[in-house]
Amino acid sequence: MTPDGSLISAAGLRKAYGPTTALDGADLSIHAGEVVAVMGPSGSGKSTLLHCLAGIVRPDAGTVHYDGRDLAAMSDAERSALRRRDFGFVFQFGQLVPELTCLENAALPLRLTGHKRKDAEARALRWLERLEVADVRHHRPGQVSGGQGQRVAVARALVGEPRVVFADEPTGALDSLNGERVMQLLTDSARETRAAVVLVTHEARVAAYSDREVVVRDGIARDMAGMYDAA
Amino acid sequence: MTPPERTRITAGPTGVAVWARDLAMGIRFAVTGGREAWLRTALTAVGVGLGVALLMIAASVPHMMSERHQRGAARAVDSPSVFFDKRLAHEQKPGSGTFLYKTANTDYHDKPVNGALLQADGPSAPAPPGVGAMPRPGEMVVSPALDDLLHSDNGKLLRERFEGYRTVGTIAPSGLIGPNELFYYAGSDKLAPGHGTIRVDGYGYEEPDVPLTPELFLLVIIVCVVLLMPIAVFITTAVRFGGDQRDQRLAALRLVGADAHMTRRVAAGEALCGSLFGLSAGAGLFLLLREFATYVTIRDNSVFPSDIVPEPWIAALIALAVPVCAVVVTLFTLRRIAIEPLGVVRNAVTRRRRLWWRLLIPAVGIALLLPLFRKASGYAAHSVPLDTYQIGAGTALLLVGLVALLPWVVEICVSRFRRGPLPWQLAARRLQFDSGPAARAVSGITVAVAGAIAVQMLFAGVQSDYTTSDGHDPGHFQVRASYRPGTAEETSAWTERFRATKGVEAVTGYVERYADKPGDDAAVTSIHIGDCATLQRMAHIDSCRDGDVFVAQEPGGDVDTEHRFAPGTRLTMKEYSAPAGQKKRGYDWMVPASARVVTTRPDPSGDHPFGILATPSAIDVTKIPDATTTFVAQVTKGDLDAIEQFRNTAAHIDPSMRVWRLGGVVKDNNYATIEKGLLIGAVATLALIGAGMAVTTAEQLRERKRLLSVLVAFGTRRSTLGWSVLWQTIVPVVLGMILAVGGGLGLGWAMLHLLRKGVRDWWSFVPVAGTGAAVIMAITVLGLVPMWRLMRGDGLRSE
Repeated sequence: MTPDGSLISAAGLRKAYGPTTALDGADLSIHAGEVVAVMGPSGSGKSTLLHCLAGIVRPDAGTVHYDGRDLAAMSDAERSALRRRDFGFVFQFGQLVPELTCLENAALPLRLTGHKRKDAEARALRWLERLEVADVRHHRPGQVSGGQGQRVAVARALVGEPRVVFADEPTGALDSLNGERVMQLLTDSARETRAAVVLVTHEARVAAYSDREVVVRDGIARDMAGMYDAA
Repeated sequence: MTPPERTRITAGPTGVAVWARDLAMGIRFAVTGGREAWLRTALTAVGVGLGVALLMIAASVPHMMSERHQRGAARAVDSPSVFFDKRLAHEQKPGSGTFLYKTANTDYHDKPVNGALLQADGPSAPAPPGVGAMPRPGEMVVSPALDDLLHSDNGKLLRERFEGYRTVGTIAPSGLIGPNELFYYAGSDKLAPGHGTIRVDGYGYEEPDVPLTPELFLLVIIVCVVLLMPIAVFITTAVRFGGDQRDQRLAALRLVGADAHMTRRVAAGEALCGSLFGLSAGAGLFLLLREFATYVTIRDNSVFPSDIVPEPWIAALIALAVPVCAVVVTLFTLRRIAIEPLGVVRNAVTRRRRLWWRLLIPAVGIALLLPLFRKASGYAAHSVPLDTYQIGAGTALLLVGLVALLPWVVEICVSRFRRGPLPWQLAARRLQFDSGPAARAVSGITVAVAGAIAVQMLFAGVQSDYTTSDGHDPGHFQVRASYRPGTAEETSAWTERFRATKGVEAVTGYVERYADKPGDDAAVTSIHIGDCATLQRMAHIDSCRDGDVFVAQEPGGDVDTEHRFAPGTRLTMKEYSAPAGQKKRGYDWMVPASARVVTTRPDPSGDHPFGILATPSAIDVTKIPDATTTFVAQVTKGDLDAIEQFRNTAAHIDPSMRVWRLGGVVKDNNYATIEKGLLIGAVATLALIGAGMAVTTAEQLRERKRLLSVLVAFGTRRSTLGWSVLWQTIVPVVLGMILAVGGGLGLGWAMLHLLRKGVRDWWSFVPVAGTGAAVIMAITVLGLVPMWRLMRGDGLRSE
C-alpha cells in the first residue's frame, strides 16, 4: 500500500502520441476493493490513463505506484508478471483468442501462471458458471453472441483472482440489456473477491455501478466526489 | 382518383454484365478503399509482380539462348583441332579476302579467356563480328570485360601473357556472347596452315547440333516443371494476401443487400485489380532486373539485357493466365467462408476438407505417367522420342497434388493434437481452427522440395553417363600442356623454359602418340619420345643413349606391356580422321629387338607413362600423324599464380598452346548447361519463396496485431507467443517435408524407371529437404522480430 492507503496511485502522468497529448498531468488513486469509473468524452485520454495504471504503456512523465512499488522502476518482464498475477483485463472487443474455446480462453491467465490444464479449466468453468455462460464453454468465440463473449472475457479477467480489474469500455459493443447484466456480474464478482475495478466508460449508466467517478478531460483527471464536495 | 403509377421493376443485368459490374466494383474498392485496401492491393501486386517477373525471365530463356548461340556461330569458323594436323575438305587458296585463323583459348584464375589469332592474306580480309578492322601483327582487340581485367591489379599476370600485343580496340556486343565474356582477337604474322590453323574467307560456322538424349530431355522437362510450379503456387498465394481484412469489408456489402455470389464476385474483382497491378509491377521489375543482367555473371555466363526478351506467345499467356488465376483462386477459396451481414464472418460451420478431389489430381498425374512405363525400354535405348507433354503434365499434376493434399494432411494431423504446454496448445488450437494459411505458407516450399528431390535423384541417376573424372587429385597443383609435335631439340628447349618458370617444381616434356598393334584391336599402347634425361624421369633406366628404346611396364599395372608389346612387335599409328573420300595416312614402326624392358616411375601428375619409351633417333616424329608434345608439371602447392606463370610461359612459346589444370570433372556440355540452369533457377525460386513467406508472415502478424496486444496486456510472456508461432510453422513444415520427401522420392523413382535406371541414393533428399525446412524456419524466426514490435501496449490504442 502507498502511504495514503491506496492500492494504485498515479501522480502527474503525461503521455503524448506524436503531436497529440493524451495525458497532461493526470493524478488518480484507487483503494483495494474500490470500483472507480473513469469517464470522459472520446479522445480525452481515459484509455491511455488505464494503460498507464496497468503498466501496459510507460508514461512520458509522472509516476504510478502499485502496492508501494514504482512501475517505472520495474522491468518489462516484471510488469508482465505483475499483470499476470495481480491484474485482470476486460476490453471492448477483439480480446478472445478466436481459435481457443471459451473455456480455454477463460483458463488462459491461469495457464500463463503455470497452472496445470485440468486445474485451470476446472477453475475457469466455475467462473463461466457464475457468469452464466458455462453452456458455451466448448464453443469458439466466433460461435457465441457478443454478450456471451464479453462474459467469457469477464470470467477470464477474474479467474486469477486479481487485486485489480481494468475494464476498458466493457459494454461498448453490447446492447443495454446485455451491458447491464455484464456490469452487474463484473462488479458483484469483483466485490466478492475484494478486487478493485478501474472502469473506463463514457456511459453514465455503466458508471452508476462504480463507487466513485473520475472524469478525464483534456488529459487531466478530476475526482467527481471532490467536485461534489466542493460544490 | 387515379392511383399513382407503381415503379416498374426492371430486371437487373445478367450473366456477363453482372460479372463485369461486380468485378468493376471490386476493382473500385481495391483502389478507393483507403489505406487498408491500398495496402492489401499493394501486397498482392508485389507478390504477383515477383512471380510474373520470374515467369517473364523464364519465358526469355529460349530467345536468350538463341541470341547467344547465333552470335557464337557468327564469329566461329570450322576450325580444326589445335593439336592434330587435320586436313579439311574445303581448304581455301590464299587470296586478298582470305585469312589464317587459329583458336587460342586460355584460362586465367580458372576463368576461360577465349580468343583467336588472325593473319590476313590480303587487304580484303574481313574483320570478325564486332570488330572494326582486322588486327595487324602485334595488335589485339579485346572484349570490354577483358580490357577491364587487363587494366586491373588482378590482371597483372594476364598482362604479362599478352605483353607482345598492343590493345587497339574493344569488341562490340555483336561479337560477344555475353557482356562479361573474356574474349580477344590477336593479329599474327607467324601462322601457317596446319596444326590448328585454317585458311578461311569469312566467319560463321554452325556446329552440328548435338540433340539432347532422352535422359537430358527428361531432366529439362522436370527442371522446368519443378522451377515453375513454386512460382505458380506463389502467385495463387499472393492473390489471397489480406483475405481476412477483405472479408470484413465484404460483410458490410452484405449488410446493404449484396448476396453471397455478388460478394464473391466483388472479392474476385479486388483480387483481379491486385493481379493487374502485379502484372504491371512484374513487367516493371522484369525490365529493371533485365538492365542489371549486365552486372551478373554466373559460372562464367553473362547475358546482354537485349537478349532477355520473352517469347511473345508466352508473355501473352502470362498476361492472360495471371488475372484469370486471381479470379478463379478467389472464388475457390471463398467457397468455405460464409460472409454474413453485421461484419461477422463465421467460419464456425467448418466442413472437413474433402479428400477425393485432392487425391484425384495426383491420381490423374500417375495415370498419365503409367502408360509411359511400357515404353521405358524404348526411351532407354534412345530410339523412342519422349512424350514431352504427357510427362510434363503428369509431373505437374503430381506436384500440384501435393499442394492440394497438404491442407488435408495438416488438418487431419492437428485434429489429433490434445495436450501439451501452453505455446503448443495455442499453436495446435490455431492450426485446428484454420490450418489453411499455415499450409499455404509451406505449399510453395513443399512443391519446390519435392521437385528438387526428384531432380536430384534424376541427376544422380544419370550423372555417371555425363561426367567423367580426369582421375587426378584436385588438391594437387599439377598442370598439363599439349602442343604440336616438336623435334628433340624443340621439346628439350620448351621443357627447359617451363622448368625455369617461377613456381614450377618439376616438369616432364615428351612427344606422345597412341599406337595400335595390327591384327589385335584390343592392343593399344602409347609411345613417348624424349631425350634420355626425360625418359629416365619416366622409368627406372640405368643407361641410355640416343637411339635406345624401352618397353616400360607399370609395376602392378593391369596392362601386360612387357609381353604384349615385346621387342619385335609391329605398331601402326593411323591418322585420327581424314576428309571424306581420302585415305587415312599412317606410319608403321617396329619395336626394335634391342629394346629393354624397364619399370615406370610416376610423372609429376602421378601417372605412370607405361608403353614404349623411345629416344628421338629411334623414331622420326615428323612422320607420326597427330602426335602431340605433352608437358606435365607440378607447381608450388597453394600458389595459384604459379599456374598462371606456367600458362604465361606456354603463351610465350605459342599463344595457341592450351594448358589444363589437372584435378577436375569433365562434364557433357548439355548436362552442364542443364545443371547451371537448375542452379540459377533454384536460387531464384528459393528467393521467391522466401520473399513470399516474409510477406505472408508480415500480413498474418498485422491481422493479429490487436490480439497480440491484448495477450501482452494480461501478461503473456513474449517467449510463449514466440514459441506458439514457431510451433505453428514447425508442424506444417514437418508435414510438408514428409509429403515432399514421399512425393519427391516417388516422382524421382518413376522418372528413373522411365529411363530404366536404378536409384543410386535413397537418402539424397536429406540436404534438399533440410535446405527447404531451413529457409522456412529462418524466415519464421526473422518474422518474430516484427512480432516483438507488435507486442506492445500501443496496439490497444486503435480502439
